Amino acid sequence: MQHVKGRYTETSGMPEDTIAPFSLGRFTLLILRVANLTFGGGDPTMAVLFRELVVSRGWLTRERYGLIYSLARATPGTNILAFCAGAGWQVARWHGALVAVLAASIPCAAAIVWFTYAYTLWRSNPLAMSAIGGTLAAAVGMMFAATFQLCRPRWKPGNRLRAAVLVAGGFGLSFGLHMPPIEVLGLGALVGLVWRPSET
Amino acid sequence: MNLILLYLLLLKATATSFSGLTSLPVVRNDFVVHRQLLTDRQLNAAVVAGRTVPGPNGLYVVSVGYFIAGIPGACAGWLALISPAFVMIPLLRYVGARAERPEIRSAIQALTLAAAGLIASATIPLARDALHGPLSIAIAAGSFLFMVFTERDTLWIIGGSALIGLLAGLLG
Repeated sequence: MQHVKGRYTETSGMPEDTIAPFSLGRFTLLILRVANLTFGGGDPTMAVLFRELVVSRGWLTRERYGLIYSLARATPGTNILAFCAGAGWQVARWHGALVAVLAASIPCAAAIVWFTYAYTLWRSNPLAMSAIGGTLAAAVGMMFAATFQLCRPRWKPGNRLRAAVLVAGGFGLSFGLHMPPIEVLGLGALVGLVWRPSET
Repeated sequence: MNLILLYLLLLKATATSFSGLTSLPVVRNDFVVHRQLLTDRQLNAAVVAGRTVPGPNGLYVVSVGYFIAGIPGACAGWLALISPAFVMIPLLRYVGARAERPEIRSAIQALTLAAAGLIASATIPLARDALHGPLSIAIAAGSFLFMVFTERDTLWIIGGSALIGLLAGLLG
């Protein structure tokens, strides 16, 4: 068993006797449970992990959690997997990073393969297709909602013109001019480098 | 399709996005528009699958891989999903201090906003495929409002919309 004592208490900010003993197995089970049983994507999962890793167990400090959370947001790809890699590396270096990413992704990947397989089986059944048709319509609403929710935190007084130009620009270049998405994203990043939001 | 190429194309999508569904426009561009290995309906089903099971929102790329090449394709999708996560480690080690630099934060914010426009753009063809009448439009509008104004789990949307679709099928 790998203990927190000495190596992590300096950064935990908690008295040694209140820190739960650390082991890679316990950490893996925690990630396995939280990442695969929390619905709603990365943000709710990272919120639960804050409680489990920082508040309940003291394996990470608030500051270290904040740094890992910020970097996970800045890392390409899926935020929660980057978060798990960062948290795992912080507590147990490469072993921790590897088991955290595997534990956070394998069970839900197996679940989605099963769901997709079930979809291919059910698509010849009219009733099943009626139900699936309902969920496909719901997916359209969820995707528009994702657009809205990505914009909402940046839709602040003083920054609305910038936000509107970037969203409309991304939409127009892709939908109107058929520009490849990577070029649109690269252009967006370049605009962001020269046109900064007022709060930064 | 060659699995390495499938992995690389899905990796291109996951490695150039900064949250779950922002990879969707790249996936659609590569697999629906250019290579025609996937239909809009399958892509939409993959998004539903990704929202139905717990876990990361970007998980739908596993379903995309499965639609294209079965279980090996799903494995390629899973590898493409997890690969960018390990970029986190050098970031955490060496450039953590720079993440708060104003120009980097500004660029990431701008990129996210441009991605929001891209998602809206990618949603329109999917909407054309999925919305065929007042009921499906009402379900889409309802799921939008549910997502925006409540904190409840998206499983409620999936379950509710499936039930409404099933009832509509039973009633005729």
